[in-house]
Amino acid sequence: MTIACTLTVNDEPRPVAIEPGDTLLDVLRDRLRLTGAKKGCDVGDCGACTVLLDGEPVNACLLLAATLEGRRITTIEGLARGGTLTGLQRAFVEEGAIQCGYCTPGMVLSAAALLARHPEATREQVKDALAGNLCRCTGYTAILRAVERCANARPDGTCARRSAEDGRPTPCQCPPRGDAPARPGLASVGHSVPRVDAADKVTGRALYTADLSLPDMVHAKVVLSPIAHGRIRRIDASRARALPGVLDVITGADVTENTYGVSPARYDEELLARAKVRHVGDPVAAVAAIDEKTAERAAALVEVEYEELPAVLDALEAVKPGAPLVHDRYERNVNTHVAHDFGDVDAAFAASHAVREEVFTGNFVYQCPMEPQAAIAHWDHDGTLVLHSATQAPHYVQYMMAHVFHVPLGKVRVIRPHVGGGFGVKAATNPLEVCAALLARRLGRPVRIVFSREDMFHYYRGRHKQHMRFKLGLDRGGRITAFSSEIHLDGGAYSSFGVATAYYAGSMIPTLYKIPNYRYNGYRVMTHKPACGAMRGHGVPQPRFAFECLLNMMADDLGIDPIEIRRRNAMTPHTRTVNDLDIGSCEFLATLDAVERDSAWREKYGRLPKGRGIGVASGGFVSGAGYCIYRGQVQMTHEKGPEKFQKKSIFPHANAVIRVTEDGMAAILMIGAAEIGQGSDTILSQIAAEAMGIPHTRLRMKSQDSDIAPLDLGSYSSRVTLMAGNAVAAAGAAVADKIRPYAAAMLGCAPPAVRFAHGRAFVEGGPPEGVAWEEAARRYFNEHGPLVGTGCYKPPEGLGGDFKGATVGTSPAYSFGTAACEVAVDLDTGKVRVQRFTDYHDCGTPINPQQVHGQVEGAIVMSASETILEDVQFDDKGRVLNPNLHGYLIMTIKDAPEIFSGIVESYEPRGPFGAKEIGEGATLPVLGAVAHAIANATGVWIKDLPITPEKILAALHGSPPAAPRHRSPTCLPTASKG
Amino acid sequence: MHLPDVTIHHPASLAEASATLRRLGPRARALAGGTDLVVDLKTRRVDADHLVSLARVPHLRGVERAPLGAPANGDLAGALRIGALTTIAQLDRSPELRGSLSALREATRDMAATQVRHTATVGGNIAGAVPCADLPPVLLVLGAWVEIASDSGTRTLPLVSFFTGPRQTLLAPGELLTAILVPPPPTRTGAAYARFSLREGNAIAVASVAAAVTVDDAGRIARASLALGAVAPVPRLVELPPGPERSDDDAIADAARRAVAASDPINDIRGSAEYRRELVRVLAGRAMRSALERAREARP
Ligand SMILES: Cc1cc2nc3c(=O)[nH]c(=O)nc-3n(C[C@H](O)[C@H](O)[C@H](O)COP(=O)(O)OP(=O)(O)OC[C@H]3O[C@@H](n4cnc5c(N)ncnc54)[C@H](O)[C@@H]3O)c2cc1C
Ligand code: FES
Ligand code: FES
Repeated sequence: MTIACTLTVNDEPRPVAIEPGDTLLDVLRDRLRLTGAKKGCDVGDCGACTVLLDGEPVNACLLLAATLEGRRITTIEGLARGGTLTGLQRAFVEEGAIQCGYCTPGMVLSAAALLARHPEATREQVKDALAGNLCRCTGYTAILRAVERCANARPDGTCARRSAEDGRPTPCQCPPRGDAPARPGLASVGHSVPRVDAADKVTGRALYTADLSLPDMVHAKVVLSPIAHGRIRRIDASRARALPGVLDVITGADVTENTYGVSPARYDEELLARAKVRHVGDPVAAVAAIDEKTAERAAALVEVEYEELPAVLDALEAVKPGAPLVHDRYERNVNTHVAHDFGDVDAAFAASHAVREEVFTGNFVYQCPMEPQAAIAHWDHDGTLVLHSATQAPHYVQYMMAHVFHVPLGKVRVIRPHVGGGFGVKAATNPLEVCAALLARRLGRPVRIVFSREDMFHYYRGRHKQHMRFKLGLDRGGRITAFSSEIHLDGGAYSSFGVATAYYAGSMIPTLYKIPNYRYNGYRVMTHKPACGAMRGHGVPQPRFAFECLLNMMADDLGIDPIEIRRRNAMTPHTRTVNDLDIGSCEFLATLDAVERDSAWREKYGRLPKGRGIGVASGGFVSGAGYCIYRGQVQMTHEKGPEKFQKKSIFPHANAVIRVTEDGMAAILMIGAAEIGQGSDTILSQIAAEAMGIPHTRLRMKSQDSDIAPLDLGSYSSRVTLMAGNAVAAAGAAVADKIRPYAAAMLGCAPPAVRFAHGRAFVEGGPPEGVAWEEAARRYFNEHGPLVGTGCYKPPEGLGGDFKGATVGTSPAYSFGTAACEVAVDLDTGKVRVQRFTDYHDCGTPINPQQVHGQVEGAIVMSASETILEDVQFDDKGRVLNPNLHGYLIMTIKDAPEIFSGIVESYEPRGPFGAKEIGEGATLPVLGAVAHAIANATGVWIKDLPITPEKILAALHGSPPAAPRHRSPTCLPTASKG
Repeated sequence: MHLPDVTIHHPASLAEASATLRRLGPRARALAGGTDLVVDLKTRRVDADHLVSLARVPHLRGVERAPLGAPANGDLAGALRIGALTTIAQLDRSPELRGSLSALREATRDMAATQVRHTATVGGNIAGAVPCADLPPVLLVLGAWVEIASDSGTRTLPLVSFFTGPRQTLLAPGELLTAILVPPPPTRTGAAYARFSLREGNAIAVASVAAAVTVDDAGRIARASLALGAVAPVPRLVELPPGPERSDDDAIADAARRAVAASDPINDIRGSAEYRRELVRVLAGRAMRSALERAREARP
């Protein structure tokens, strides 16, 4: 029943036809096309949908529009009147409080309501006001700074924060940062310029996939298996088809036998389950309808009859003889076995002064980006598939779609709208993309599918839970003699990225410390749970956590200070590791010194009162993978035939085109590097500007559309700054070279003598104001037509050793970092407060220091959160017990520690302007530092993640950790209830 | 996620709301803030065809002292009347939450997040009868009553008798919760609320304990009670018997023991039953201690 109602939105009366059950959020987004309010959970947990109701913040997803007539509704679109940003919005832009931007509209509105009520709000008030707005990217640090800046800003520019005692204004409390000044002579690179997309994100103008609506578009839903393992006996979609508004239903019977996945040798995902389901949440059917509500209802009406089969849910059970097989092809459910053995480990242990062996267990950590995955597919009349998708690896999606649909890559166009965070979960081709394309082809109409938050947990592709047995040998001085590890990675039901994960789990350990003898046995094991994939730090955070804990335990055993023991083992520049990785620049030691100094380590370690603790750990990562995920050239898999591995890149991994507009006043940078919130559009435009010698504000990014931007492999393995950066720098240099002769003619000098900067061209001894860059560009155009520069980047040839799996872990450059963490533990309840982090990183020379800090702050909060809070829990039927943001808790602004982030001086010759990576490396020290701090505060080591209050208390009371027990679910998958 | 197809009714009086609910029977639900109900409808925990919005029913909002005059019930003379439709945020900001009643603010402050607090109502928090709800424990130790009305009259009864099971109350078809009545606490009373959640912001209680203590002129405990949230099918009130003369520590330890004995927690994703019992012990001690301190500080 449709009813007419008039809502007052942003001071305008908006008559609208609604259903009584429509939420305000759906009415704003779908009927009024105000998509600034985002849907992150739809049940009140995330705050992405925050709007103001009569000036107070509320969750639009919890309000029924029909009850709101006569109330005043303000959305983010109503904040900046006449296009002028409010002071608060400007503060968000300038302080770096925006990354993916998905939380931003809600965050800004919550803050605006607070400041309207309390113009001089205290820090506690700010945190309280924003505790209902989750952010997965920023770590809240810059957000707090932005809001506090407004709360404290005075007209004269001073800070109004009053000290508690005397009420006098005091300087701003924002934590200082340890940045080296930008290298002399650089105008764009090295400067903290605001993000190029910040203004769009802070006003709600930035469009994410689910915000887009194409003419004649229909909506779809994927039907998921409610059981962990079973044979599909029969699917009856007649009730679903009979529902008015339903347009199509597809099942496994309607799709080809083609399988897909990530690693070409292990494509084991079916387009839709054809005979068997392998985990709760396995896609069995897809339904298209005129609107999302109808599709959702029809999905619940698809009747699937299963023959339930025994399921294996635990990795250590799955490898036992006789365990049910997830796939017949993986014997004893072992998807991959890695056996690495370098040096003589046994002899070295025998000769060691001290040897310690410990068992550690990881957790199922979900990336939890604030934006759910979404895709819109349609087919052009010439047979080109056009796919809009919330993806972080558009090229691999293009490659996989070509494989699935047997069309050339040139016939697949992938458009990546703004993406609300990925952290790895959006790196693989997913069932939304596949099903949207399948349905769109059948219907001849655009099809949109959006995951619900619950669907996201059932698709998962989060961290593997790793069962780790680690053994470390040290000599008398604390120097590492040998290390061996055995890891069982619980991989869930499909391979996904898991082969690489299993290799990474071993290969990255020797990059940080000099380990002369090294053994790693890794087993990636299949279980009847949602597949695990690649998450920030890919495979490494849990082993790194375990290694750092073990090193700290042994430092205590030997009476050596934990920072000192790291110094004695620290990696040095230009070293080849025991597993044949080439370390180039390395300022690891500098990070240890700086953290020791700035955390007041010596005053605190071992000297804090009971219940307070400090801990330290280190970590580092690759700056881009040395090799592509698939072999051979860019071409459909089935055309290529078996490819022999070659120790080089066949084609460039990053490619850039810069076209200067005909008046020379703007430059369009085309590159397929995926901006997913990490800031690549901004730093790439800075690099391009620097290389051309023009202000970065003249750059415009075209990175969203594969028809426009040339191939880049995507945002994974922390590769974009180094690889795309190098391609862009080369393209910029090519443009500069083309106009150099024209500038030289204007300056009356030889072309090589011309120098470009700030949009001018100079020559030594020439006019100090130089000549206009754009004039040189115009003259070039007059003669040659389009002024275009191109650049590309291939990783160096010959990276890595010659053993099996030697490619994983190779990289042009490695990052290093160290973090100290302080905690307070309530010894009666076991509850941990992560209070403070001091972190120093060697990320090479930063392109944009503010963005580096943003990555570090975000990584610290995300990883601290996974250390103490996060775990996807399953019942004994393989059902997820907490597929939502009230059961799966991630840190809020109230939980986030205070963070000091610093960058040590470093220069990486292989990186653009000396830069390496920061995005993933920053996560790696965190888990171990938190665990160490907790051990330091309580006297007990918890080796089983997450370190919950319950585990701490059990350890303090000396009782064994509670055995697995029956847990009541909070919620079951939709399909099982239908 | 979407709601099932529903019809929304907007009654303009209590009698109309009550009659509508009675007429439509179990397929109808009263809609207050909707922070529980809308979620339950989306996730199909609750199925309903009709929602009866209370938004236009008069006299259901606000926090005020009961008008003077002889109330029907002597216990409630001078009681604080909290209208069922008062939002959590409005209650939190009410200047009436003074003295021992300010313990209510310890519940409103840590409950949910700002957005939910601006929507969620006091009545919904109680009538929903969710075991982990934050207001009931504090209201129980403050001796609160509920005011229930329908088109055929009004009745008041002690809050402690209102809950009959998880998500179940004494409300009869057509009856609405119209107000919470909090009698003025005896002089020298202190109250406190201790809550444990896994996260600092926006997380429901894993266990919670409220305490109220009244002391005599000499500062000795004259009366004390505890109430437990999230650890039993319904919020549980534990009256502590007047004990022999003993130290504060002994009295507090005894209270904590009784609280643990009265709890009946479940295992779930937030914690095991054993852990919850341990939390009850700790929280009961903490709530008792601060209630006692506040009672002694309270001016007669
Ligand atoms: C993200 C989130 C976090 C939350 N966190 C907390 C928390 O920390 N602590 C906590 O206690 N709660 C929490 N809640 C639950 C909820 O917000 C509260 O219980 C709230 O007070 C319910 O009030 P409401 O007005 O929204 O109730 P509604 O959802 O409108 O109603 C709830 C139930 O009570 C019935 N009802 C409501 N009012 C009346 C009435 N006057 N007479 C008769 N029946 C009535 C309804 O029919 C329905 O069955 C949270 C909810 C969300 C979404
Ligand atoms: S979408 Fe409304 S709170 Fe998450
Ligand atoms: S910027 Fe907050 S969720 Fe991405």
